[in-house]
Amino acid sequence: MLDSTSEHELLILGIGGQGIQLIGKTLAQAATASGRHAMLAAEYGGEMRGGPSQATVVIGERPLRSLPILASAGSAIVMHDRFCGAVPERLRPGGLLVVNTSIVDPAAAGESYRVGGLPATDIARELGKPQTAGFIMLGAFNALTGLVTHEQLVEAMRSLLPPYRIEHADSNAAALLAGSDAARELELSAAVAA
Amino acid sequence: MSASAPVAEMAPLELLEGSTAIARAAILSNCRFFAGYPMSPFTGLLENMAKLMPAAGGVCINAESEIEGVNMVIGAASTGARAATGSCGQGIALMQEAVAEAALNETPLVIFNMARNQQDYFQCTRGGGWGDYRTLTLAPKDVPEAVEHTQLLFHLADKYRAPVILYGDPLIAQTRVGVRLAAPDLEPLPAKDWALDGTMGGTGKSRQVWTWAMGKVTDPGLGPDGHWRAVADKFEMIAAAEQRWESAYEQEAETLVIAFGSAAKFTEYVVDQLRAEGHSVGWFRPITLWPFPGAALAEATRSSRRVLVYELNAGQMLDDVRQFVHDRDTVRFIGGVSIHESGLSYGPLLDAPVLRDRILAAMAQPTER
Repeated sequence: MLDSTSEHELLILGIGGQGIQLIGKTLAQAATASGRHAMLAAEYGGEMRGGPSQATVVIGERPLRSLPILASAGSAIVMHDRFCGAVPERLRPGGLLVVNTSIVDPAAAGESYRVGGLPATDIARELGKPQTAGFIMLGAFNALTGLVTHEQLVEAMRSLLPPYRIEHADSNAAALLAGSDAARELELSAAVAA
Repeated sequence: MSASAPVAEMAPLELLEGSTAIARAAILSNCRFFAGYPMSPFTGLLENMAKLMPAAGGVCINAESEIEGVNMVIGAASTGARAATGSCGQGIALMQEAVAEAALNETPLVIFNMARNQQDYFQCTRGGGWGDYRTLTLAPKDVPEAVEHTQLLFHLADKYRAPVILYGDPLIAQTRVGVRLAAPDLEPLPAKDWALDGTMGGTGKSRQVWTWAMGKVTDPGLGPDGHWRAVADKFEMIAAAEQRWESAYEQEAETLVIAFGSAAKFTEYVVDQLRAEGHSVGWFRPITLWPFPGAALAEATRSSRRVLVYELNAGQMLDDVRQFVHDRDTVRFIGGVSIHESGLSYGPLLDAPVLRDRILAAMAQPTER
């Protein structure tokens, strides 16, 4: 849901091991395959399991003007609040904030944002694949924003899997679908005008 | 004046990391030999070359040092092949003797400086070797432009028989962006009748690629005096012919911000934001660091009341700005050294809100004019 000039900027935050980089890459790849311009900016530093992990994705209809270090973003996915708190510093007031309520308290987000929460880590455990929580969040975010189709997201996920991980394709697809389904039940809190 | 090498519009958009996009652009430019030694953030380019070059019929060698790598590249390029090496500034420091030799013996090669920050401006534009030589340097502001510049650099290296440099950085090496890749459409170049292809061996007319140009009994050559004069003349000709820059609002703005590479992209973004708020500000960006677009800068700053220099170092391009700006008293430095805690990338100064604050603070100061 983009007009011809706007750019959708997304911050994805969590900790190393939650699939932050992979879901960012999946969304950017899906947008590119759908003919849009996309950018995935690398967060530089010593990536490690449990350390801070951040990805930023920008999608637009035209060649992008957004910077690889975003000045601000219109939406965010927060998988874990250990390093960023419930609200990323650069999320604009009124922006869309999707939080993993298994870990993050959505009440901590305050009233300046449109907040949707889903217990992605718990849903992933119920699916028997705890490592797919990131794809659940991505499926929900994409259902809320309609940036790409669900099929494009699944196709991008499959195209990015190396041959030695291909056995995860079906469970990742199930996670994207579970996230998309969970988003249908979501009622976003309305942002109170700042 | 833009540095664009025309690219077919219809090539599909692909989401590529900068290192991959540059490697593929190099191969599309017929680069068939690459040698280097891993060093972050250059390592990704070396890995991509290692992966892609064999299928293109070329050779990529992980050398045992930067010095070995650049000298292998001189060897390959001497045979007429398009050849390239790279590192970050720290590794390119080791290559300086070979770069000077290549410049003086007129061997075309491309050097990818996937720099950690902007502290290599002097290295690129002044060099650290010996003799009267320069290295043409293009500084792309983002990944799509790095693709264009890569293709242009292979062309210019051959055109002028000289080593040339792409000044990249971690943002260009590691950001993934949608790019379109196609073979470049550039003017045809003459055959390399100087290349050491083995065809003249034993004929008494064998060719030489030699820094000192002392020739042999049957063909005495120009000797160092004549040869080095000719090389110096060539660099003077390149200096006049290859200046590239872009700018916006320079004629109407009180304040002009000068930046190169990624910092220029941030500058463009912040200036547009400030203009939308009614501030009288514009930007000027050297695309070639050498040759520096001095005449264009002088013209662009003719009516500026403030000229702000934003670069992520202690003030290196600042020297060139002061040399060519219309009025030296208008120049203020708003950049600085800013290094990520890992040492491998930029620190917090490369950021739109920080740059915005620095421009606004400078604009709040009285002007000299």
